Amino acid sequence: MRGVSVAVVVFPGTNSEDETLRALLAVGLDGELVHWSQPERLARFDAFVLPGGFAYEDRIRAGAVAAHDAVMDPVIEAAQAGKFVLGICNGAQMLAEAGLVPGTGPVRRPTAAFAPNASGRFQSVHVHVKLAVAPERVPVLAGIEPNAVIPAWASHGDGRLAAPPDELARIERDGHRAFVYCDRDGNEVDAPNGSALNAAGLVNREGNVLAIMPHPERDAWTYQHLDASRDAARGDARAALAPSGGIRFFEHFARAVRREVPA
Amino acid sequence: MTAATATRTFAVTLAIPDNEAFTALETLSRLGIGVARVVRADIWQLEVDGAADDLAKTVASIEAIHNPNKHRLAERPSDRPASGEVWIAPRDEAPATAVAGRTIPGVRAIRRRTAWRLLDDDGRDVAPTELDRAIETFLCNPAFQVAITT
Repeated sequence: MRGVSVAVVVFPGTNSEDETLRALLAVGLDGELVHWSQPERLARFDAFVLPGGFAYEDRIRAGAVAAHDAVMDPVIEAAQAGKFVLGICNGAQMLAEAGLVPGTGPVRRPTAAFAPNASGRFQSVHVHVKLAVAPERVPVLAGIEPNAVIPAWASHGDGRLAAPPDELARIERDGHRAFVYCDRDGNEVDAPNGSALNAAGLVNREGNVLAIMPHPERDAWTYQHLDASRDAARGDARAALAPSGGIRFFEHFARAVRREVPA
Repeated sequence: MTAATATRTFAVTLAIPDNEAFTALETLSRLGIGVARVVRADIWQLEVDGAADDLAKTVASIEAIHNPNKHRLAERPSDRPASGEVWIAPRDEAPATAVAGRTIPGVRAIRRRTAWRLLDDDGRDVAPTELDRAIETFLCNPAFQVAITT
Protein backbone atom coordinates (compact mmCIF):
# COMPACT_ATOMS: atom_id res chain seq x y z
CA MET A 1 0.00 0.00 0.00
CA ARG A 2 1.41 3.35 -0.94
CA GLY A 3 1.86 6.12 1.57
CA VAL A 4 -0.05 9.34 1.48
CA SER A 5 1.21 11.51 -1.31
CA VAL A 6 1.37 15.23 -1.82
CA ALA A 7 1.45 17.04 -5.15
CA VAL A 8 3.65 20.11 -5.34
CA VAL A 9 2.13 22.02 -8.22
CA VAL A 10 4.61 23.79 -10.45
CA PHE A 11 3.62 26.73 -12.64
CA PRO A 12 5.77 28.56 -15.16
CA GLY A 13 7.68 30.89 -12.87
CA THR A 14 7.51 28.79 -9.69
CA ASN A 15 10.90 28.77 -7.99
CA SER A 16 10.48 27.08 -4.59
CA GLU A 17 9.29 23.65 -5.61
CA ASP A 18 12.48 21.76 -4.81
CA GLU A 19 12.94 23.00 -1.25
CA THR A 20 9.22 22.56 -0.61
CA LEU A 21 9.32 18.97 -1.82
CA ARG A 22 12.48 18.36 0.20
CA ALA A 23 10.72 19.53 3.37
CA LEU A 24 7.73 17.29 2.66
CA LEU A 25 9.95 14.27 2.08
CA ALA A 26 11.91 15.05 5.22
CA VAL A 27 8.78 14.70 7.35
CA GLY A 28 7.97 11.35 5.83
CA LEU A 29 5.47 12.22 3.14
CA ASP A 30 5.59 10.97 -0.39
CA GLY A 31 5.53 13.81 -2.85
CA GLU A 32 5.95 14.66 -6.48
CA LEU A 33 6.24 17.73 -8.61
CA VAL A 34 3.29 18.09 -10.96
CA HIS A 35 3.49 20.63 -13.74
CA TRP A 36 0.68 22.94 -14.73
CA SER A 37 0.25 21.09 -18.00
CA GLN A 38 -0.60 17.85 -16.19
CA PRO A 39 -3.89 18.48 -14.37
CA GLU A 40 -5.02 14.94 -15.09
CA ARG A 41 -2.28 13.67 -12.76
CA LEU A 42 -3.67 15.40 -9.70
CA ALA A 43 -6.62 13.13 -8.96
CA ARG A 44 -4.56 10.51 -7.17
CA PHE A 45 -2.95 12.82 -4.61
CA ASP A 46 -4.05 13.16 -1.01
CA ALA A 47 -2.96 16.77 -0.53
CA PHE A 48 -1.58 19.68 -2.48
CA VAL A 49 1.04 22.34 -1.98
CA LEU A 50 1.26 25.46 -4.12
CA PRO A 51 4.84 26.65 -3.68
CA GLY A 52 6.42 30.05 -3.96
CA GLY A 53 7.77 31.89 -6.95
CA PHE A 54 6.38 34.12 -9.65
CA ALA A 55 3.84 32.07 -11.55
CA TYR A 56 3.24 33.55 -14.97
CA GLU A 57 5.65 36.33 -14.02
CA ASP A 58 3.00 37.80 -11.72
CA ARG A 59 1.30 39.11 -14.85
CA ILE A 60 -1.97 40.99 -14.26
CA ARG A 61 -1.74 40.36 -10.46
CA ALA A 62 0.34 38.02 -8.35
CA GLY A 63 -1.38 34.64 -8.39
CA ALA A 64 -4.27 35.73 -10.58
CA VAL A 65 -3.41 33.88 -13.77
CA ALA A 66 -2.47 30.70 -11.92
CA ALA A 67 -5.72 30.83 -9.96
CA HIS A 68 -7.59 30.53 -13.24
CA ASP A 69 -5.30 27.89 -14.72
CA ALA A 70 -6.84 24.54 -15.61
CA VAL A 71 -4.52 22.82 -13.16
CA MET A 72 -6.28 24.65 -10.34
CA ASP A 73 -9.63 23.03 -11.17
CA PRO A 74 -8.75 19.72 -9.48
CA VAL A 75 -7.05 21.55 -6.62
CA ILE A 76 -10.20 23.58 -5.97
CA GLU A 77 -12.35 20.46 -6.20
CA ALA A 78 -10.07 18.67 -3.76
CA ALA A 79 -10.19 21.59 -1.35
CA GLN A 80 -13.97 21.62 -1.49
CA ALA A 81 -13.95 17.87 -0.83
CA GLY A 82 -11.94 18.42 2.34
CA LYS A 83 -8.45 17.52 1.18
CA PHE A 84 -5.62 19.58 2.58
CA VAL A 85 -4.20 22.41 0.50
CA LEU A 86 -1.27 24.56 1.50
CA GLY A 87 -0.13 27.67 -0.35
CA ILE A 88 3.18 29.32 0.42
CA CYS A 89 3.98 32.85 -0.76
CA ASN A 90 2.99 32.86 -4.44
CA GLY A 91 0.85 29.83 -3.61
CA ALA A 92 -0.85 31.88 -0.89
CA GLN A 93 -1.53 34.61 -3.44
CA MET A 94 -3.09 32.00 -5.73
CA LEU A 95 -5.35 30.71 -2.96
CA ALA A 96 -6.57 34.24 -2.26
CA GLU A 97 -7.16 34.92 -5.95
CA ALA A 98 -8.98 31.59 -6.22
CA GLY A 99 -11.23 32.63 -3.36
CA LEU A 100 -10.25 29.57 -1.29
CA VAL A 101 -8.98 31.81 1.49
CA PRO A 102 -10.54 33.31 3.44
CA GLY A 103 -13.18 31.46 1.51
CA THR A 104 -16.00 33.80 2.39
CA GLY A 105 -17.20 34.26 -1.18
CA PRO A 106 -17.68 32.22 -4.33
CA VAL A 107 -14.77 30.35 -5.84
CA ARG A 108 -12.57 32.53 -8.03
CA ARG A 109 -14.26 35.69 -6.78
CA PRO A 110 -11.64 36.94 -4.32
CA THR A 111 -12.72 38.80 -1.21
CA ALA A 112 -9.17 39.47 -0.06
CA ALA A 113 -5.73 39.71 -1.61
CA PHE A 114 -2.07 39.65 -0.85
CA ALA A 115 -1.47 43.03 -2.43
CA PRO A 116 1.73 44.98 -3.12
CA ASN A 117 3.76 45.67 0.00
CA ALA A 118 3.19 49.04 1.64
CA SER A 119 6.83 49.87 0.85
CA GLY A 120 6.19 49.39 -2.85
CA ARG A 121 9.25 47.17 -2.92
CA PHE A 122 10.17 43.51 -2.90
CA GLN A 123 11.32 42.61 0.62
CA SER A 124 13.32 39.64 1.84
CA VAL A 125 13.58 39.47 5.63
CA HIS A 126 13.76 36.76 8.24
CA VAL A 127 10.61 36.70 10.33
CA HIS A 128 8.72 34.67 12.89
CA VAL A 129 5.02 33.97 12.65
CA LYS A 130 2.68 32.92 15.44
CA LEU A 131 -0.44 30.83 15.30
CA ALA A 132 -3.21 33.36 15.88
CA VAL A 133 -6.15 30.98 16.18
CA ALA A 134 -6.95 27.98 18.32
CA PRO A 135 -5.23 24.82 17.05
CA GLU A 136 -8.65 23.30 16.41
CA ARG A 137 -9.15 25.98 13.79
CA VAL A 138 -6.30 24.64 11.63
CA PRO A 139 -6.69 20.90 11.13
CA VAL A 140 -4.33 21.38 8.17
CA LEU A 141 -1.61 21.68 10.83
CA ALA A 142 -2.66 18.77 13.04
CA GLY A 143 -1.30 18.85 16.55
CA ILE A 144 0.19 22.31 16.36
CA GLU A 145 0.45 23.83 19.81
CA PRO A 146 -1.35 27.04 20.81
CA ASN A 147 0.59 30.19 19.94
CA ALA A 148 3.21 28.14 18.09
CA VAL A 149 6.02 30.30 16.72
CA ILE A 150 7.51 29.33 13.37
CA PRO A 151 10.62 30.93 11.83
CA ALA A 152 10.49 31.68 8.13
CA TRP A 153 11.74 33.98 5.43
CA ALA A 154 9.36 36.62 4.12
CA SER A 155 10.40 37.14 0.52
CA HIS A 156 7.79 38.88 -1.55
CA GLY A 157 6.68 42.06 -3.22
CA ASP A 158 2.98 41.35 -2.73
CA GLY A 159 2.34 40.10 0.79
CA ARG A 160 0.15 42.76 2.33
CA LEU A 161 -3.26 41.43 3.26
CA ALA A 162 -5.82 43.82 1.80
CA ALA A 163 -9.59 43.67 1.91
CA PRO A 164 -12.51 46.02 2.47
CA PRO A 165 -13.07 46.92 6.14
CA ASP A 166 -16.09 44.66 6.59
CA GLU A 167 -14.19 41.71 5.16
CA LEU A 168 -11.20 42.39 7.40
CA ALA A 169 -13.56 42.44 10.36
CA ARG A 170 -14.99 39.11 9.27
CA ILE A 171 -11.52 37.63 8.78
CA GLU A 172 -10.62 38.56 12.33
CA ARG A 173 -13.96 37.72 13.92
CA ASP A 174 -14.36 34.32 12.28
CA GLY A 175 -10.82 33.14 12.81
CA HIS A 176 -9.49 33.28 9.27
CA ARG A 177 -6.29 35.04 10.36
CA ALA A 178 -4.21 31.95 10.97
CA PHE A 179 -0.79 33.51 11.53
CA VAL A 180 0.49 36.92 12.56
CA TYR A 181 4.00 38.34 12.47
CA CYS A 182 5.84 38.17 15.78
CA ASP A 183 9.31 38.21 17.26
CA ARG A 184 11.15 35.03 18.23
CA ASP A 185 9.48 35.10 21.63
CA GLY A 186 6.02 35.29 20.15
CA ASN A 187 5.33 38.94 20.79
CA GLU A 188 3.27 40.34 17.92
CA VAL A 189 5.15 42.89 15.82
CA ASP A 190 4.23 45.09 12.89
CA ALA A 191 4.14 43.21 9.62
CA PRO A 192 7.16 44.13 7.48
CA ASN A 193 4.90 44.48 4.45
CA GLY A 194 2.15 46.57 6.07
CA SER A 195 -0.26 43.64 6.09
CA ALA A 196 -3.72 44.37 7.48
CA LEU A 197 -4.32 42.72 10.87
CA ASN A 198 -0.58 41.90 10.86
CA ALA A 199 -1.68 38.81 9.02
CA ALA A 200 0.94 36.43 7.69
CA GLY A 201 -1.50 33.66 6.82
CA LEU A 202 -5.16 32.92 6.21
CA VAL A 203 -7.21 29.78 6.68
CA ASN A 204 -10.59 28.90 5.28
CA ARG A 205 -13.67 28.17 7.38
CA GLU A 206 -13.17 24.41 7.35
CA GLY A 207 -9.49 24.72 8.23
CA ASN A 208 -8.24 22.49 5.41
CA VAL A 209 -6.84 25.28 3.20
CA LEU A 210 -4.01 27.41 4.53
CA ALA A 211 -2.24 30.29 2.84
CA ILE A 212 0.98 31.57 4.39
CA MET A 213 3.14 34.30 2.93
CA PRO A 214 6.55 33.68 4.59
CA HIS A 215 8.47 30.56 3.61
CA PRO A 216 8.89 27.96 6.39
CA GLU A 217 10.64 25.68 3.91
CA ARG A 218 13.42 28.23 3.68
CA ASP A 219 14.08 27.88 7.41
CA ALA A 220 13.80 24.11 7.50
CA TRP A 221 17.49 23.45 8.18
CA THR A 222 19.85 25.13 10.60
CA TYR A 223 22.08 26.56 7.88
CA GLN A 224 19.07 28.56 6.66
CA HIS A 225 18.19 29.98 10.06
CA LEU A 226 19.14 33.47 11.09
CA ASP A 227 20.53 33.37 14.60
CA ALA A 228 23.52 32.10 16.53
CA SER A 229 22.58 28.48 15.88
CA ARG A 230 23.51 28.92 12.24
CA ASP A 231 26.84 30.49 13.08
CA ALA A 232 27.58 27.77 15.62
CA ALA A 233 26.95 25.14 12.97
CA ARG A 234 29.50 26.52 10.53
CA GLY A 235 32.00 23.86 9.57
CA ASP A 236 29.85 21.09 11.01
CA ALA A 237 27.78 19.58 8.22
CA ARG A 238 25.68 17.46 10.54
CA ALA A 239 24.75 20.44 12.70
CA ALA A 240 24.18 22.69 9.70
CA LEU A 241 21.79 20.17 8.19
CA ALA A 242 19.89 19.58 11.42
CA PRO A 243 16.20 20.50 11.23
CA SER A 244 15.36 24.09 12.04
CA GLY A 245 12.09 25.56 13.25
CA GLY A 246 10.43 25.68 9.86
CA ILE A 247 10.40 21.91 9.59
CA ARG A 248 7.90 21.77 12.48
CA PHE A 249 5.37 23.44 10.23
CA PHE A 250 5.70 20.57 7.78
CA GLU A 251 5.60 17.96 10.55
CA HIS A 252 2.17 19.24 11.53
CA PHE A 253 1.08 19.31 7.89
CA ALA A 254 2.25 15.70 7.55
CA ARG A 255 0.22 14.65 10.59
CA ALA A 256 -2.80 16.26 8.98
CA VAL A 257 -2.27 14.57 5.64
CA ARG A 258 -1.81 11.22 7.37
CA ARG A 259 -5.04 11.93 9.23
CA GLU A 260 -3.36 11.46 12.57
CA VAL A 261 -5.63 12.62 15.35
CA PRO A 262 -3.88 15.16 17.57
CA ALA A 263 -3.26 13.94 21.11
CA MET B 1 -1.73 82.77 -5.11
CA THR B 2 -0.87 79.25 -6.23
CA ALA B 3 -0.58 78.08 -9.79
CA ALA B 4 -3.49 76.12 -11.24
CA THR B 5 -3.27 72.36 -10.86
CA ALA B 6 -3.91 70.11 -13.80
CA THR B 7 -3.74 66.41 -14.53
CA ARG B 8 -1.73 65.26 -17.51
CA THR B 9 -2.26 61.69 -18.65
CA PHE B 10 0.25 59.60 -20.57
CA ALA B 11 -0.22 56.12 -22.01
CA VAL B 12 2.71 53.80 -22.52
CA THR B 13 2.27 50.77 -24.74
CA LEU B 14 4.71 48.13 -25.83
CA ALA B 15 6.00 48.30 -29.39
CA ILE B 16 7.13 44.70 -29.01
CA PRO B 17 4.72 41.80 -28.39
CA ASP B 18 2.94 42.28 -25.09
CA ASN B 19 3.21 38.99 -23.22
CA GLU B 20 1.03 40.22 -20.37
CA ALA B 21 -1.76 41.12 -22.75
CA PHE B 22 -1.41 37.74 -24.43
CA THR B 23 -1.62 35.98 -21.06
CA ALA B 24 -4.74 38.00 -20.26
CA LEU B 25 -6.22 36.96 -23.60
CA GLU B 26 -5.53 33.30 -22.85
CA THR B 27 -7.13 33.49 -19.41
CA LEU B 28 -10.14 35.50 -20.57
CA SER B 29 -10.72 33.00 -23.38
CA ARG B 30 -10.57 30.17 -20.85
CA LEU B 31 -13.22 32.02 -18.84
CA GLY B 32 -15.46 32.02 -21.89
CA ILE B 33 -15.22 35.69 -22.65
CA GLY B 34 -15.44 36.39 -26.35
CA VAL B 35 -12.33 38.38 -27.07
CA ALA B 36 -9.89 38.10 -29.96
CA ARG B 37 -7.28 40.62 -28.90
CA VAL B 38 -6.27 42.37 -25.71
CA VAL B 39 -4.56 45.75 -25.68
CA ARG B 40 -2.84 46.91 -22.50
CA ALA B 41 -1.29 50.23 -21.58
CA ASP B 42 0.38 51.70 -18.55
CA ILE B 43 -1.35 54.94 -17.66
CA TRP B 44 0.64 57.60 -15.85
CA GLN B 45 -1.33 60.48 -14.43
CA LEU B 46 0.73 63.42 -13.30
CA GLU B 47 -0.72 66.21 -11.22
CA VAL B 48 1.15 69.31 -12.22
CA ASP B 49 1.37 72.92 -11.19
CA GLY B 50 0.92 75.29 -14.07
CA ALA B 51 1.57 74.49 -17.68
CA ALA B 52 4.69 72.28 -17.25
CA ASP B 53 5.53 72.83 -20.89
CA ASP B 54 8.40 70.38 -21.07
CA LEU B 55 6.54 67.63 -19.25
CA ALA B 56 6.04 65.32 -22.22
CA LYS B 57 9.71 65.58 -23.09
CA THR B 58 10.69 64.93 -19.49
CA VAL B 59 8.38 61.93 -19.20
CA ALA B 60 9.77 60.50 -22.42
CA SER B 61 13.26 60.71 -20.95
CA ILE B 62 12.46 58.67 -17.80
CA GLU B 63 13.32 55.13 -18.67
CA ALA B 64 11.27 53.70 -15.80
CA ILE B 65 8.23 55.05 -17.67
CA HIS B 66 9.28 54.98 -21.28
CA ASN B 67 12.08 53.04 -22.93
CA PRO B 68 12.13 54.20 -26.55
CA ASN B 69 13.59 50.87 -27.63
CA LYS B 70 10.39 49.06 -26.74
CA HIS B 71 7.68 51.54 -25.77
CA ARG B 72 5.41 54.03 -27.43
CA LEU B 73 4.41 57.08 -25.42
CA ALA B 74 1.35 59.18 -26.12
CA GLU B 75 -0.33 61.92 -24.15
CA ARG B 76 -4.04 61.37 -23.73
CA PRO B 77 -6.48 64.25 -24.23
CA SER B 78 -8.60 63.14 -21.27
CA ASP B 79 -7.90 62.04 -17.72
CA ARG B 80 -10.62 59.42 -18.00
CA PRO B 81 -10.62 56.05 -19.82
CA ALA B 82 -11.51 56.05 -23.49
CA SER B 83 -14.73 54.43 -24.60
CA GLY B 84 -14.45 50.65 -24.38
CA GLU B 85 -11.49 50.85 -22.02
CA VAL B 86 -11.15 50.05 -18.33
CA TRP B 87 -8.47 51.33 -15.99
CA ILE B 88 -7.52 49.23 -12.98
CA ALA B 89 -6.21 51.24 -10.04
CA PRO B 90 -5.35 50.52 -6.41
CA ARG B 91 -8.32 51.08 -4.12
CA ASP B 92 -6.40 52.88 -1.38
CA GLU B 93 -3.93 54.75 -3.45
CA ALA B 94 -1.25 56.98 -2.02
CA PRO B 95 0.04 59.01 -4.94
CA ALA B 96 3.77 58.85 -5.46
CA THR B 97 5.95 61.90 -5.78
CA ALA B 98 8.79 60.26 -7.68
CA VAL B 99 9.41 57.56 -10.27
CA ALA B 100 12.31 55.22 -9.55
CA GLY B 101 13.57 57.77 -7.07
CA ARG B 102 13.42 60.63 -9.56
CA THR B 103 11.16 63.59 -8.98
CA ILE B 104 9.72 65.41 -11.97
CA PRO B 105 9.87 69.22 -11.92
CA GLY B 106 6.43 70.72 -11.44
CA VAL B 107 4.79 67.36 -10.65
CA ARG B 108 3.23 67.07 -7.21
CA ALA B 109 1.56 63.64 -7.49
CA ILE B 110 1.94 60.59 -9.70
CA ARG B 111 -0.70 57.88 -10.15
CA ARG B 112 -0.35 54.73 -12.17
CA ARG B 113 -3.13 52.62 -13.66
CA THR B 114 -3.32 49.71 -16.06
CA ALA B 115 -5.59 50.21 -19.05
CA TRP B 116 -7.24 47.23 -20.74
CA ARG B 117 -9.12 47.17 -23.99
CA LEU B 118 -10.77 44.03 -25.32
CA LEU B 119 -11.35 43.70 -29.06
CA ASP B 120 -13.40 41.25 -31.06
CA ASP B 121 -12.54 39.48 -34.32
CA ASP B 122 -13.34 42.61 -36.28
CA GLY B 123 -11.10 44.81 -34.14
CA ARG B 124 -14.05 46.48 -32.44
CA ASP B 125 -14.53 46.86 -28.72
CA VAL B 126 -16.35 43.91 -27.20
CA ALA B 127 -19.82 44.53 -25.85
CA PRO B 128 -19.91 46.38 -22.52
CA THR B 129 -21.39 43.29 -20.88
CA GLU B 130 -18.36 41.27 -21.95
CA LEU B 131 -16.00 43.92 -20.64
CA ASP B 132 -17.91 43.92 -17.35
CA ARG B 133 -17.59 40.15 -17.14
CA ALA B 134 -13.85 40.39 -17.79
CA ILE B 135 -13.52 42.96 -15.03
CA GLU B 136 -15.55 40.97 -12.53
CA THR B 137 -13.97 37.60 -13.20
CA PHE B 138 -10.36 38.48 -13.79
CA LEU B 139 -9.08 41.95 -14.53
CA CYS B 140 -9.93 43.50 -11.16
CA ASN B 141 -9.63 42.12 -7.65
CA PRO B 142 -12.14 44.28 -5.80
CA ALA B 143 -10.50 43.47 -2.51
CA PHE B 144 -7.84 46.05 -3.27
CA GLN B 145 -8.50 47.43 -6.73
CA VAL B 146 -11.12 49.55 -8.47
CA ALA B 147 -12.18 49.46 -12.09
CA ILE B 148 -12.64 52.84 -13.75
CA THR B 149 -14.70 53.03 -16.92
CA THR B 150 -16.13 55.90 -18.89
